[in-house]
This record gives sequence, C-alpha cells and structure tokens, in this order.
Amino acid sequence: MSYPQPRSAALQGVQGRLDFRTVTKRYGPTVALSEFTHSFAPGQVHALMGKNGSGKSTLVKLLAGVTEPTSGTISVNGEDRHFTSPHDAFAAGIVTVHQELSLVPELSVGENIFLGRLPHRRRAGFSVVDWAGLHRRAGELLADMGLAIDSRQPVSALSVGQQQVVEIVKAMSFNPSILLLDEPTSALASREVKQLFALIERLRARGVTMIYITHRMSELFEIADTCTVIRDGHYIGSVAMKETTPSAIVGMMFGDAARATRPPRRTLDRAKPVLEVRNLSRAGHFQDVSFDLYPGEILGIAGLLGAGRTELMRAIFGADRIDGGSVTFDGRDMTGASPRDMRKAGLGYTPENRKEVGLVQSLSTADNLCMASLGPISRNGFISRRREQPHVRRQIADLHIKCGDPELPVSSLSGGNQQKVVIGKWLNRQPSVMFFDEPSRGVDVQAKRQIFDIIWQQAADGLASLFVSTELEEVLEVADRILVMHHGAVVAEVDPTKTDLTELYGLCMEGAKQ
Amino acid sequence: MTLVSQTTEAGGQNTPLKFLKTYPMEIILAALVIFLILVAPGFASTGNVLNVLRTVSMLGIIAFGMTAVIISGEIDLSVGAGAALAGCIVAWFADRFAGVFGDWGAVTVGFGVALLLGFTLGYLTGRFRQWFNVPTFITTLALFAALRGVANLITGGFPMSSFPLGFDFLGGGYLFGIPFPVYIFALTFAGMHFLMKYTSFGREVYAVGGNMEAARLSGIDIWKVKALTLGLTGALTAVSGTLIASQIGAGTGTTATGMELDVIAAVIIGGTSLFGGKGRIWGTLIGVLFLGCISNGMTLMNVSEYWQYVVRGGIILGAVLLNQVLERVR
Repeated sequence: MSYPQPRSAALQGVQGRLDFRTVTKRYGPTVALSEFTHSFAPGQVHALMGKNGSGKSTLVKLLAGVTEPTSGTISVNGEDRHFTSPHDAFAAGIVTVHQELSLVPELSVGENIFLGRLPHRRRAGFSVVDWAGLHRRAGELLADMGLAIDSRQPVSALSVGQQQVVEIVKAMSFNPSILLLDEPTSALASREVKQLFALIERLRARGVTMIYITHRMSELFEIADTCTVIRDGHYIGSVAMKETTPSAIVGMMFGDAARATRPPRRTLDRAKPVLEVRNLSRAGHFQDVSFDLYPGEILGIAGLLGAGRTELMRAIFGADRIDGGSVTFDGRDMTGASPRDMRKAGLGYTPENRKEVGLVQSLSTADNLCMASLGPISRNGFISRRREQPHVRRQIADLHIKCGDPELPVSSLSGGNQQKVVIGKWLNRQPSVMFFDEPSRGVDVQAKRQIFDIIWQQAADGLASLFVSTELEEVLEVADRILVMHHGAVVAEVDPTKTDLTELYGLCMEGAKQ
Repeated sequence: MTLVSQTTEAGGQNTPLKFLKTYPMEIILAALVIFLILVAPGFASTGNVLNVLRTVSMLGIIAFGMTAVIISGEIDLSVGAGAALAGCIVAWFADRFAGVFGDWGAVTVGFGVALLLGFTLGYLTGRFRQWFNVPTFITTLALFAALRGVANLITGGFPMSSFPLGFDFLGGGYLFGIPFPVYIFALTFAGMHFLMKYTSFGREVYAVGGNMEAARLSGIDIWKVKALTLGLTGALTAVSGTLIASQIGAGTGTTATGMELDVIAAVIIGGTSLFGGKGRIWGTLIGVLFLGCISNGMTLMNVSEYWQYVVRGGIILGAVLLNQVLERVR
C-alpha cells in the first residue's frame, strides 16, 4: 500500500484550516456527535476536551477517515471532503497519532517510519529496498525534529516516550497540514512530556494545525492555544487559553458535576501488617524492596515510568518470577506463589492496561465481574446466571457502573466503567489486600473521583491497598503514606500531609532530596 | 459496541432481518434440508434420516469436545488418528485378552485403556504447551502422524475383527428404533452444553480463550483449563473411535482418515472463532448436521466423490466468510 503525499496545492495558501458544519454521527439511535459546527484556525494547537463518551473519539475517527459522518460536512482548507477511508484523510493532509502506539517493536525506527512505503532502488534489474536511503531520510527527519535517535536501532530499545515521539515523526513524514494527537502523553512521565511539547512547539512554528486530545488539565495551559469542549456529543464552546481558567473548562466539561473530596485521614492501627515484603528483587526490574502494608492503609507508590512500580506489584502478585526476597501475607510465607495462590490468600490486582490484560473484551460485563470468583459463586462447580445475578448487581450498584445490559460485551463500556468492572471483579472476592495499578489512566475526571471514592470507602472497611499512579497529585491525594521508587529501588518514604508536589516530583526525578 | 442500538432499532420494523442475522446457520440448514427433501431421491425416508444421524453422531461426539478446545484458543489435529487408534486398541484387547477377561471383559478393559490414553495424550498436549512452549498445532500434528502409525503397529496393518457377538450393536444397532450412537451423541451434546454454560470450568474456558493474560491475572489456572479441554476431547475421540470400530466390525489403522478436518469444519461452520473465546456447543450441533446432510445429499444425488471434496472446501470457506460478514453488520 502506498500513501499519497498531500497535493501540493494544499501546501500553499491557507494551510490546515479545518471546518465542521453540522456534522452528526449516529450509531443506531445513539447520537455520538450532534450537529458539531466549529472552525479550527490554522497553525494553532487546539485542545479538545470532554469526558469519556462525550464524542471526542468519534470526532477523531471522522477526521482519520475511520468512520463516515451520518450527515454534515467536513472541509479542509475550504474544500469539502468526504472521507471513506484513512487513505482519503491522508490525501487531504490529515494524519492521526492514535492513543495506542502503532509501531512494530522488532523493526528499526527508520523502517517503522516508512512502513508500507519503503523506498526502493534498482539493482541488477530487480527492485530492492533501499536501506541506505531509508535510514538517510529517517535520520534527516529525526534531526529535523531535533531528536537524537538512531534510526537503525529497534523500536523496542526505546522508552515509551521516545516511541511516542517516533510515532509523531512518522506522522510528520507524511507532511500533513493537520495533525491529530489522541492523548499522546497518557503513558509518559513528565520529562518525556517536555520532550514531546518541544516537538509540538516546533511543529506549530511551521504552521501545522494540531488537534490535541488530553485528560490532563495542566498540559492545556502549557501547550494549547485554544480549547474546544464537547459534552454528550454537543459542541459546548471554544475558548482561548489565555482567557480561561481550569475551573472554567471543568465547568464546561461537566456542567454542574459534584466534586468528591478526600475523606479525612484516619489513624491506622499499625500493630500487625497484612503484607510484609522483605528484600524483594527481580533482576533488571527492581531490587531489595522492603515494606509493610497495614489493614485499612492506602500505600501509594510514586515514581517515574520505568521505576519498577508495576513490576513490583506484578511480582508480589505472582504474575512474574522473583529472584530473591520474601513475601509474607497474613503471617503466611507466600514467596513464589502463583496469582491463583495469592487470589486464594485474599489479594486482588487491577493491572495498568485494563484493555489488554484486565478484561476479556469478548465476554460480557457480567462474565467479567464474576471471572475471579467463579469458585465461590458456583456450588460444587455448577454455576448459572441466576447464581451470578446478585454478585453482578451488587457491583454495578455499589460502583455505579454505567452499563445498559450487563450481558453485552464489556468492550461497549467507556474506559472509566471498564476500570470499575476490573475493580468489581476483585471486590466480588472480598479481598483483604488490593493492588491498584494506574486505576485512573485514561478515564474522565468524574469516573476518576468515583474510583477514588471506592478506594477510600474500601479502606475505611479495612481493605489494605497499594496505589500506583503516574499522576503524582493523585498519589498525594489518595494515599495515606507514599513510597518513592527510583531505578527499581525504594528511595524514600513520605507522608503526603507533610510534603508537596514539587518535593515529590524532585524525589521521583532525582531519587533523593535536592 | 452498537449491539444495543441495533437491536432496539431493529425491534419494530426489521424483525425478520434480525432473525436472519441471529440464526444464519439454522436458516441455511433448514433451507438445505428443504432443498434436499425436494431434490435428493429418498433423503426424507426414515432409513436415510437414521443413517445420516448415525454418521453425524461419530463426528459430533468429537466435535463437541473440539469446540471447547477451540474456544480455549487451542486446536487438536490428531482426532482422526486418535479415533482409529482407539478402535484398534479395543480390537486388540478383544483379540488378545478374551481368555483372561472374558469376551466382553476384554472389550471393556480395552475401551478403558483407550479412554485413559486419549485423555492422557490430550492432557499432556496441553501441558507440553505450558512446559516447553510447543504449540498444540505442532504436538497434535505429530500425534496425527504417530497415532496412526501405532494403530497399524498394533493391528499389524490388517483389520482386527475378533469382537464378541453383539459388539456391533454399539455402532450399528438400534434402540427403540433409533441408532445407538445417536444416544451417545445426544448425551455428549447435553453434557458439553451444560459444561460450557453452567459450570465454572466452562466459564473459565471462555475467559482463557478470550484473553489468556487477563484470565491468568484473575487467578485462573489457564494451563489446567487448556489441558483439561484437550484431555476431554481425547476421551471423546476414544468413545467415537470405539463406536466406529463397532460399526465397521473391525479395528483398523485406516479408519477415520481426514476426520479431523470434518470435525474442525463442523465447529467452524457452527460459528466458533478460531481465535478463541467465542463459540457455542449448539452451533457445533448445527455444523455437524449441516455437514452430514450435505454429504448424504450429494451421495444420493450421485455427485462424484471428488466434487464432494470441492464442495466441502467451499462450504468451510463460505461459513467463515459468512461469520465475518455477520460480525461486521451486527
């Protein structure tokens, strides 16, 4: 498959102007986007905000040519366009960087950039791949974006942040006039975000129009020129970043949504820990980690991406092998146990990538909610929908899971609701310890509050939990105590009431107090 | 994703269309049966119907097990050879050990050995995947070749037919006017349907096939689940193999050649996804009936055997295409 370059005419004159006129997208009776009308001015960074299910992704899909509008017109540079395939979008000069990375890890950076359109040259009458030319051009592109990445190394050798940047370089190699960035920072730590923003600044200076989707409010004010808000498929408004405030944007996004506040911290009974981890090590991931976790305590683990937080939790849960140290659960030695053993002992784990490993997408919400507790729900191995009903209903009610019919595939739920299903799956077992790995990733502000409320409520009932989040302000808010990890080691233990964001960031970045 | 909206929208005016989308294979099977009744001479006669049911039973008993295997995300290519081997084991025991255990005793012990062997080989195939990371496709391909070899080694390459009097009843006899294998077939259907739908084991099979890592992190013993589905299929293969040996009156290494293809075809025609996680025992029932009717119909209409193969190939491809298309419009 070859990708057409944008027509040269599009490169001159008004570049990157994008107009929506009464664009509507329906899925059956569901209106995902309703008469959306707005003009995105060329050469600016336009943030697109809205909670999950507001219609942001639909807008992205329409622009990327993944789906077609039911009615209405999209025009690019003043010319009406009708995209029937991603190919058409490319031809119009619109390139999308999707939330999920689409690089092939085993292939080199250069090959990834030119995947599907490798340059060829003739040799002995045959057309063969021009590797030298490919890496020369890839090198030029990378240098052009101010990046010091060797185009010959495999993508798997790069950090997630660098991969994200390569993804953008790949998009830019199509020479688009409009670039769509769908939550590019969701997996990045702050240093990597800075690198990404530098790249975005560079592209803006060249006059590329960017539509930037994010959940992180602070980023908007740092990078965007305007912010457009959609709610329930409707265009709510568009404001210049210079003339607005975070609370004004939140107001636009939610109408009048109630904000939960943190319940007061309680004094914990630290007599007997429920989980004792001693000198735990896993080569190449973390080393010599020790801590105690007490009933009712929420222990936050802070650290940059790659500090070993997820790896530590997976190893304790028995999902990965350990090389040394011990795990004691409720006074019993559980070193080297399997996830099955840990589950039986009373430990639950909600993994960071819920879509890939937290849920079975092809199964229903009900099936997923019961998946970890088939044993207790069934009688002598026999199970029926009737036996499952109370467990399904209770979690849906307690966790405020918004799902029409619990028998429908869980894939039809929004990110926040899917996360609640993962949590509900474990609460059905009434665990004594829970590991929450990035429970707020990719969910909207409201769902995030609800998830935190669930965690606090469970803690009040005696559940001990480990809480990991890339967003340090969340760790500060949610946790009773925070361990800071740096390069696979625990470097500090802090009290969230006696520290602030700046200090915590410093610890995570440097591994020691400055 | 749009399932809710589709159903509500289709609720009023498009009910026939919705019916068509929900039961595509059932409708096609019904159409085929009507077509054959009209066109194929003698298709609807009692004798022929019972004959079709008998043939379908041998296939179906294994296909129900195979459905579970495929839902769990694995495959078993060795069932044809396994069925032949099982028949040979029973025949060999009847031949050698009639003096020790008595006529029927020897057959029973032989059947027990075949059952245990079938289960064990299937179970170990699953564990091989766990221990040595050998795909079941490879292990069962190896068994596909080896088991047929072993069957011929046992029998010395000739049919062994020293079965006790009345043994032919199992595969060829009638009970209340219905071929005996049909009862086993019905029992297997009911049992597997129940297993997949009303036991935690069945639910775990779907979870493991739908997302192995998510199932593992939910504390499900994924390898045990896979090994057990394969073991179960091995055991059902032994049952079917014994019935076949009884029907033809001999254990021979050359029976059930190509059966694995028909079994897998029936499962796929029934709408089970080869990617795992999706499928129903009911669908497989439709699949085996469909295959049985079409080959019987073609034979009645004097279609050459070579054309029958071509048609069968076309049907497998057509069924998968149909499922893909339906997946999209749903």
